[in-house]
Parts: sequence; C-alpha cells; structure tokens
Amino acid sequence: MNVNFSIVLEYWPVLLRGLGMTVAITMTCALVGSLAGFILSLARTSGNRMLSYPASLYVEFFRGTPLLIQLFWVFFCFPIVLGLSVAPIVSVCIALILYMAAITCETFRGALKSISSDQYDACTALGLSAGVRVTYVIFPQALLRAIPPLLSNVISLFKESALISSVGIADLMFVGQNLSNSTARPIEFLTAVALIYFVVAFPLTRLVGWVERRMLRRFS
Amino acid sequence: MEYQLDFAFLSGSAPDLLEGLWVTVRLAIAANAMGLTLGFALCLMAMSHWALVRWPAQMFIEFFRCTPALLQIIWFFYCLPFLFEVYIDPIPMGILALGLNLTAFNAEAYRAGVQAVPRDHLDASIALGLRPWQRTIYVVLPQALRSAMPVLMTNGISILQQSALVAIVAVGDLMYVGKDIATQNYRPLETYTLVALIYFLLSLPIARLAHVIERRQDAVVER
Amino acid sequence: MNNAVLNSRVASDPVSYDDSDSPQLIKLRGVVKSYNDGALTVMDHLDLDMHAHERLVIIGPSGSGKSSLLRVMMGLEGIQEGTIDFLGTQYITGTRNKPQKLDPRLQRQIGMVFQHYTLFPHLSVLGNLMLAPTKVHGWTKAQATERATQLLARLGLESKLHAYPSQLSGGQKQRVAIARALMLEPKLMLFDEVTSALDPEMVVEVQNVMLKLAEQKMAMIIVTHDMHFARHIATRVVFCANGKIVEQGPPEQIFTNPKEARTREFLEKVVIFD
Repeated sequence: MNVNFSIVLEYWPVLLRGLGMTVAITMTCALVGSLAGFILSLARTSGNRMLSYPASLYVEFFRGTPLLIQLFWVFFCFPIVLGLSVAPIVSVCIALILYMAAITCETFRGALKSISSDQYDACTALGLSAGVRVTYVIFPQALLRAIPPLLSNVISLFKESALISSVGIADLMFVGQNLSNSTARPIEFLTAVALIYFVVAFPLTRLVGWVERRMLRRFS
Repeated sequence: MEYQLDFAFLSGSAPDLLEGLWVTVRLAIAANAMGLTLGFALCLMAMSHWALVRWPAQMFIEFFRCTPALLQIIWFFYCLPFLFEVYIDPIPMGILALGLNLTAFNAEAYRAGVQAVPRDHLDASIALGLRPWQRTIYVVLPQALRSAMPVLMTNGISILQQSALVAIVAVGDLMYVGKDIATQNYRPLETYTLVALIYFLLSLPIARLAHVIERRQDAVVER
Repeated sequence: MNNAVLNSRVASDPVSYDDSDSPQLIKLRGVVKSYNDGALTVMDHLDLDMHAHERLVIIGPSGSGKSSLLRVMMGLEGIQEGTIDFLGTQYITGTRNKPQKLDPRLQRQIGMVFQHYTLFPHLSVLGNLMLAPTKVHGWTKAQATERATQLLARLGLESKLHAYPSQLSGGQKQRVAIARALMLEPKLMLFDEVTSALDPEMVVEVQNVMLKLAEQKMAMIIVTHDMHFARHIATRVVFCANGKIVEQGPPEQIFTNPKEARTREFLEKVVIFD
C-alpha cells in the first residue's frame, strides 16, 4: 500500500484543536491533582491514624488499578452513586484528578522523607518553632526536591489523558482515531498523532533531567 | 435517588470473568518476560560506544516513553498489519505491543541501575586487573540488577494495569469482559467495582514485595 | 551583650584564666539516659558542674555518651531521670515515657554546631544566619543583616554572604554554621565533633575560629577526638566511659598525669606520649 502523509496537512487544524483539548485537560488536572496530592501527603505522613490510614488506602488503590477502570468507574458509576448527571468532561477531569492526586501524594511523601534528621536537629538547636520549621526549612526543601518528579507526573498525565478518548472526549487521540477511520488512513494519522505526543513530551522529559541535575548540584 | 446494590448477578458471569482474567494474566506475564530480557539488551545497546548501535536504541526508548501506551497499542493493531502485510492474532499482538512498551521502560531502569554502581567499584575492579567484560559481569551487572529490582517490579505492575488498554481494541481480557457484562446487565457500578478489585488484588502482593525490597536496600545503603 | 566576641587576633598559646569566682552556668544532677528500654545506658546518674567562661572538652571511647550529653543539653533528646539547671534556673527534668520537658527560654541561649554541617541547602549563607533571628525572635531584616555581615566579616567569609552552602568548602560551611549559632549571642556553645568530617587542611581554620571564641571567654562544651586541640583549648578535660565521668581536671593533669587507670589506658591508645 502507498503511504502519503500530505493528507495529514489538510486536517492540521483539527489535530491542533484536539491537542488543545489534551493540553487544557492535562494542565487543569495536573494543577488541581498536585494540590490535592500535597494535602493527601500531609494526611499520609501525619501521626494521626484516622488520617494516614485512609490516605494510604486511597493511594494504594489508585496506584493498584488501571486508570482505564478508574475512568470508567467515575464516568459510569459516579452519576449512579451521586444520583445526578455529570457532564462527560467533568467526569474525565475528576478521574484524572483523582489519579494525579494519588501519584503526586507519593512524590511529596518521598521528598519529605528525603530530608535528613540533621536538618530537624539544626532547627531545634536554633530554637525554631514548629511553624517556622515547616514553612521556611522543611517545605521549601521538599518542594524543590519534588519539582523533577512532579514534572514527570505531569508528562505521565499528558500521555495517560489519551484514555479519555475512549469515553468520547474530543482530545488529540480521539480526533486522530476519528480521522484515521473516516479517511481510512490509519498509518498516516496515527503516526502523525504519535509524533505530536512525542514532540510535546520529549522536550519535557529533557527538562526534567536538566532540572534534576541542577538540583543535585545545589544539594550536593 | 436510591440505588439497590446487587452483586449477585455477577456470579453467573464468573466463568467469563475468569476467562478474561486468564487473558490478562497471560498478557502481563508474557509482556514482563519480554520486557525483562529485551529491556536489558536494549539498555546495553543504549549505552554502547558505537553511535550506530546507541542511536536507534535511544530513539526506540524515547519514542515508547514519550507517547501514550493506548496510541502504541492502537498503532500496532491498525498499522502493523498494513505496513508489513502480516496478520497476528489479537493476544500475541497485545503481548508484542505491551512487551515493547515495557522493554523501553525497563531499559531505562537497568540504565539507572548501571549508573548507580559506585565509581570506586569500577576503579577497584580495574585495579584488580579484571577485563572489561569481567567488570560488566561480576561487578556491574549484579549491583545494577539489585538496585533496578524495585523499579523493574513497579514497571511490571504498571504493565499489568496498562494491559487493560487492549480492551479498547477488543481483546477479550478482564477489562473487556467487565465492560461487556456492565453493558449487558446495565450494572456498571457492581461490575467495575469488582473488576477494579481484581486488578488491585493482583498487583497488591507484588507492590508489597517491591516495597520490602526497596526498604531493605535503603537500610543497606545507610549502614 | 558581648559585642567583643571574635576580634581578629588568633590565639597562639593555650588560653586560660582563673574562673573560680565566675557564676555557675550548668548543673547536672543524677542524669540518666538510656536507649532501647535501658538496654544501652549512655548517661548513668551523671553529675557535672560548669562555670561561665569555662571550656570543657569531653573525651572518651566511642559510645561513652559524649554526643548524647550535648544533644540532651540542646534539647534534641530527652533524659529519663535527673535535672539540669542552666543559668541558675531549672532547665530540663527527667521524664520516663513522657515528652521532654524543658524551658525554651533557656534553650534559646544555647548554640550548637554539628559534625555534618546541617546548613539549610536551599537558603543562602545570609538566609541561614537570618532565619532564626527574624522568624522567631522578631529582629528586623536590617538588624539581622547587620549582625550577620559583622559576624561573617570577622570569620573572613564576607565574600560568601550570598553564596549557597553547596558552593562552600567543608571548612567554610562549618564556619558559617558557627556564625549561625552565634547570631543570637548564646551564653553557651556546644561543639559536637565539628572537625571530624573535614579534610585535614580545613580543620585548622575551624579550630582557629573556636580559639578566637575562647579568647572572648565564650563558654563551650566540646566533644572532639583531636587530643592536641583538646589540650590547647580546654580549661577542663572530662573523661567519660560507660555513661559515667571517670576523671576530670585541667588538661595538663589529665594528659600528663592521669590518676585513673582507665583514663591512662584510653589516652595510651589515642595519644603518642613523648
């Protein structure tokens, strides 16, 4: 069979609109999910079992089940449980936020754990109150250390967001599949879509590496 | 709105679910076998001194890591048969797609493991007069494997979860069977909850084990 | 206020003076500390007195509780029994299975420097020095900056004001850590093996700073393995073993003519006698 990529150029604006949807949903869910993940990590690392136990269970469950089923669960079951209709776009955003919160919780927990006990000793020796210790010493360091893995989480979310096409949200994946079906040119369109995802995600992975090396130098 | 939970109807679907589960387990195990072996070979290629070997390997890794797994699977199912004019059964095709995806991620895990081998150990093995291949086999490989182990296991679990994506191209795995039952009985809540639980219970023991190994390694590094 | 702290002269002779009539600074009575439910006792009914302007060097085999003593006085770890008075007031009381009780107003007048620099890596040198004064003690930024600049200049680190810890050598880091502890003008400084992690050529620059402090009559308790430095800086040497004080006295006496067999035994292992 003959492969002709020029057809992709005709549909360029449609693909771009799909990418716009993917990026918008990724950014929204990354932002809200990271915040939720941070709060969750505080609950998970707190000494209070009433908080830490449910938080752990939440994280384990969301990391231990396929995102696809989480998505289906939220999409089909939330309306049943809540007894009200939820717009599809809201449903998929909820699913992605819940997923992002779970993986980000682990990121923050790792960052908090990586701060050595020497730092806590120094705070006591300087007579810093618990509030000052958390705000000015522990939190900034945890946040700095969490930046590279947080960025990686965002890249993961960007890729995983392709799943929302399966419930009919017109993201890049959905648009690409639609075009490949309607034009009967899967090779051209699916390859083009893959390249678009790659062109966005690859530089971001390089950025993560660069930030990580800078952090290492700063904290060595 | 009152909704009456009813898990009883699922007992009639147990054989279907078990069949789907069996497909999922086969997908996950075969993909892991591929990923663990090919991943190591790919890692060696990506660290090779020859650019002609290194470049394609790195391209392969980056491409699989930077595109959605769903897209990779759909690409394999729709494009591979056209491009190469071969017909592959759905399950082997699913294994191929998932396995190559895992190969790329595991190659990275192995590479991080190799890089974590302390410089001193290489110096020491040079000082002891070990040849390059002896250094690789006796000094680098065991340590790299050790430190890559938790990540390899985590990757293995995530490919189990990614295997659910083959349901979208109609491979009859656990996810696909679950979707089918949910639609036929109009009972998504019970069905998807049960399917989620099965996936969770499959990955839980491996996740625990990875966690234990990681903690033990941390303890070794500290003292 | 002791603004004369750290003038520029480096002490070249052992510094000592008569401190018999200076006020009592620290008083330990019957202090007991053990780990793992009493399996390991690091302080066994310990009594210790120290006057202002004294400089105690604590020596002893590893595991004898030297560092624990400093960590307890800083309030980093609790004690099970006994009392510690500081500046004539009750500071710490022993508690079993209960959170540590100590007087935070007294804790603030003690400064500590650790073996592993413990500078905050995300803050500049100035940021490290200013954190406690501005955030806890209500100094203005201007006040804190002025004091920090002054201190760093005296330690020869004025050019490093805006540097980050990772850009400093080990010796510089440790001098910054000392400056950070001095910001609040403590009445007592604790040094926990501060030169152990340093390269040999950096040890002296840190020790010189400590000798400068000694000249300014700063009260110090020092844990070190460097017997030469111990002899040089101490007004009193305390030899500990198995959680007890075995022997204490002026450095000349401890190092040349120890009374106890255990002291002699220890010193023979770590010092080469002429």
